[in-house]
Amino acid sequence: MKHLIHTLNKAFDHRVRLGVMAVLMANDGVSFTDLKEALDLTDGNLASHVAALEKAGYVEVSKQFVGKKPNTTYTASKDGKQAFQDHLAALEKLLRG
Amino acid sequence: MTKPAVDPLAQLTEIRAIMERSSRFISLSGLSGVGAGVVALVGSGVGHLYLKREYGTQGFLRLLESTESERTLVLPYLLLLACGMITAALAVAAFFTFRRARKAGQPLWSTLGRRLALSLMIPLVAGGLFCIALFLRGAVSLVVPGLLLFYGLALLNASKYTLDEIRWLGLTQIALGLLTILLPGAGLLFFALGFGLGHIGYGLLMYNRYERS
Repeated sequence: MKHLIHTLNKAFDHRVRLGVMAVLMANDGVSFTDLKEALDLTDGNLASHVAALEKAGYVEVSKQFVGKKPNTTYTASKDGKQAFQDHLAALEKLLRG
Repeated sequence: MTKPAVDPLAQLTEIRAIMERSSRFISLSGLSGVGAGVVALVGSGVGHLYLKREYGTQGFLRLLESTESERTLVLPYLLLLACGMITAALAVAAFFTFRRARKAGQPLWSTLGRRLALSLMIPLVAGGLFCIALFLRGAVSLVVPGLLLFYGLALLNASKYTLDEIRWLGLTQIALGLLTILLPGAGLLFFALGFGLGHIGYGLLMYNRYERS
């Protein structure tokens, strides 16, 4: 039998990615800076993990300009929300054994 | 087979904490409420004494039946008192919340803090202006209900960005506001009850629940 651990989504096996998804589940449209502050990360660290989530299609990125400053906003996609819910369900299942 | 190191319980706990921390401003200190309540009680006392001096023993009751020129005469003083109370209450509240935010490592002027302030201020400013209009147009008995109702609705509106107790504080103010419509003569008393004891009560509750270690 397939071990339960393999039902966990590989895209979420890093705590930063898990954190990013958690913030995006609780808030609609979060800026890069707010995301960074909420998770207490460096720019580079956050950027690489968000890029991975974006590639997986779990996070949508929109770029606008506020005055002359670029402002990037992240939102969890429909797929991302579903995948995260599934991941949580799998974690709970693991807990119940 | 080597299993990846996954501690589901730790992961779930952390996810819950992140979702909570990122969507709610949790650094609001209970002591802010207590401080604001004390300010409101002192302010009510000062207002009471002022109206006694102005109108004799009838005080607040006399204000309810005042003529337009009498109202215009006391308005600057009452507005000054109100502004003084708001400033003092905000200063005390900001002090304790700033202290708590620093301890918790949550920035005070975050998107979340701004969102909370804005969702509180819009109904509050609208309500304040509306109550001044009520006073000037002669509906003095509706001023205290108006203040309590608008403040309660403002809290209710802001409560989605902060601790749950704020919702209950808001509902309490709304209930008191509606009650004051029925008992206009006890307006000043209800003012002290809502803004004074209401804040102190919920402030102590929040302090006990989240801050006492």
